[in-house]
Amino acid sequence: MTETAEPTTQQQNPLLEGLHLRRVPDPCVLVIFGASGDLTRRKLFPALYSLALRRLLPEKFAVVGVARSEESDHGFRDRMKHAVQEFGRDDFHESTWDWLADGMHYVSTDFANKEGQKKLEDVLTEMDEQRGTAGNRVYYLAVPPSAIGMLIQEIGERRSTEGWTRVIIEKPFGRDLASAKQLNQEIQEHFDESEIFRIDHYLGKETVQNLLALRFANGIFEPIWNRQFVDHVQITVAESIGIEGRAAFYEQAGAIRDVFQNHLLQLVALTAMEPPADFAADSVRNEKVKVLHSLSTPGPRNVVRGQYGPGYVEGQEVVGYRDEPGVAHDSLTETYVAAKLFVDNWRWADTPFYVRAGKRLARRETTIAIEFKRAPHPPFEIQDDGLQPNVLVVHIQPDEGVSLEFAAKVPGQGMALRTVHMDFLYGGTFRQGIPEAYERLLLDCLLGDARMFTRADEVEEQWSLVDAIVSLWQRDRPSFPNYPAGSWGPPAADELLRRDGRTWRRH
Amino acid sequence: MATALGSISQIDRELARLRVDPDTGEPYQRTSVMTHIAWVPGEWVEAAEDVLLGLAERHPSRTIVLVPDPDGDDELEADVEVERFPAGEGREIAVETIRVRLCGNRASAPASVVEPLLLPDLPVFLRWRGLPPFGAGPFEQLVDVVDRLIVDSNEWAGLPAPYAELPEVFERVTASDIAWARTSRWRPQLASLWPGIADVGEIEVEGTAAQANLLAGWLRSRLNRHDVELVHTPADRLVGVKVDGEPAPFPPGSPPDPADLLSDELDTFTRDSVYEDAVRAT
Repeated sequence: MTETAEPTTQQQNPLLEGLHLRRVPDPCVLVIFGASGDLTRRKLFPALYSLALRRLLPEKFAVVGVARSEESDHGFRDRMKHAVQEFGRDDFHESTWDWLADGMHYVSTDFANKEGQKKLEDVLTEMDEQRGTAGNRVYYLAVPPSAIGMLIQEIGERRSTEGWTRVIIEKPFGRDLASAKQLNQEIQEHFDESEIFRIDHYLGKETVQNLLALRFANGIFEPIWNRQFVDHVQITVAESIGIEGRAAFYEQAGAIRDVFQNHLLQLVALTAMEPPADFAADSVRNEKVKVLHSLSTPGPRNVVRGQYGPGYVEGQEVVGYRDEPGVAHDSLTETYVAAKLFVDNWRWADTPFYVRAGKRLARRETTIAIEFKRAPHPPFEIQDDGLQPNVLVVHIQPDEGVSLEFAAKVPGQGMALRTVHMDFLYGGTFRQGIPEAYERLLLDCLLGDARMFTRADEVEEQWSLVDAIVSLWQRDRPSFPNYPAGSWGPPAADELLRRDGRTWRRH
Repeated sequence: MATALGSISQIDRELARLRVDPDTGEPYQRTSVMTHIAWVPGEWVEAAEDVLLGLAERHPSRTIVLVPDPDGDDELEADVEVERFPAGEGREIAVETIRVRLCGNRASAPASVVEPLLLPDLPVFLRWRGLPPFGAGPFEQLVDVVDRLIVDSNEWAGLPAPYAELPEVFERVTASDIAWARTSRWRPQLASLWPGIADVGEIEVEGTAAQANLLAGWLRSRLNRHDVELVHTPADRLVGVKVDGEPAPFPPGSPPDPADLLSDELDTFTRDSVYEDAVRAT
């Protein structure tokens, strides 16, 4: 991100006018709790490396990895170097890595005990002295939810008296409304909301942010972005992968806590929100909260859950969920959820938002499809297969872009019509490479910009809806598995739309 | 070797042919964000091809390379190339390069060749290699059909006199200068010397004449001080700046390569009033 220097500064210094100065974060130490985990290896260090390569990190910067497992500084650097080489999106440059590695340290400790806390504190003080990080701290909590409360308390009690402190918290944030409220309360005892960065990496995706640009930087979409012109909205977050060895987590979470509560509801909020007054963090988040607050609780007929059985994905035979390692043979955990939601406000009243998320579906795909109402009286003879309504599809991943379906005349005699697609392919127009979501979000946090992070009240609204759905589920026992791996989910999900005279988009 | 195409209709037909996948008969997806015209006199052809190499992938566009040959027989000699690049999973985009040698009288009427080849409703950028013949036919014609003119005053002899011709162009088309872009690493360094630099009497620049003149013009215009003296030490790139004898801090990082500089200019659509003021104050 580049920003023109502040206008007030320009008035004082005329040489700054027109200079596109990149905002550089303050000197700081990034402390990663859970440094031995997959997230650190696959996402965080590749993101840090890409930021370092583009000189977006502060010159005075250090990273301290914290985990229980024994490892030396050297071993940690070596392991992360391989991770960057394996998972990074950029070519590997030894000099950039050396710069980053020079400020890397590893603290092997159990943070729950005083000795461990003291050990970390000593390293951080050493970093301040050696690298000039001025007491500024970003704590990244890449740990299981059960450890977050304790860490928040200990960090809060031992927070640096010099410089600023920020805390990044990975999802899931709680496992229901009560636990989320409890966690928010514990956080607020030690930190201001502006110091907390609840990460939902979907919000760091360029194409999710492009949804805001599409809606609010163009004059043609907003006037028709409402119940008068939109027939319904479909949001799909489909994964072709299974649980990838995360049985312990997934058995507790299921699709509703893993994806629906966060990614899916955030996409609903961004699609349905009113234009914010400006692009400040609270302006954007205020509008999202209003949408989440307006979501009515769906009745039992409007929610479908599913669990995959054995099947074929991309030509490969795969086991059913209950046969995944670590999963109970009679597990009732859902791997699929679909719902018909309504945003009860002036703009969207009576306009269904059909949403679905699931694992082991036919294809990896995240899309938002806005299906418009049909032309009221086309003066043409329409064939039996009919004209499809106009659909604006925002492709979040893969093939990031936007497409519009509309009717066109088939060349030749007569007036035969056909639905055609107008495609904007993000990667086809902007060829510089799309930054990974974690790059954007880490940098935003270092800069203190919370716009793309979820606020306490957003999380609570999300859990409030999820709790209502989960409580419905406790009344009956589902017949699982109910969809084969490699399909588009259980038949009941198709029925959810069929009874409204609609179908899921198949693309 | 393929026969050169001699007319616009032949160019159009060849483009249509190349746009279709010979294996499937389906057209490639053409993605264009602009028409990029390059005016490349013979002596600049090699350098221009170097810069264009790789640029197409970063800026999907229709590129029209015009090579004037006023001494040749009166004719067009063109060839067309369609390159494909991966975009997304299993998809490709196609971009087009049209190279046209304007022989004889055709060299004096480039706009009539370019107009039928422009992609509709997309911005048109003109990269003019060397010193433009301000006021002369080909340059004036092309300026009137493009949205943005890109020059590199490092390629100009006799500086700073030619800068006096540019302000008239600013009123007709958005203009930018790669030589100015090459000073962009140094300007924040000089700005960091504020407020002391407000009283500067002399700026000493070791670099090209264009860089020296533009930096001096920039200081004069921004500080509203037309008495800032320039001392220029010739070098083939910008290696140092002194303010009243004191070296300015050296900028971090490496200077961008020519393709990156042109690429950045192709991303810019608006007028740069700071550059225009600097040119006026050279």
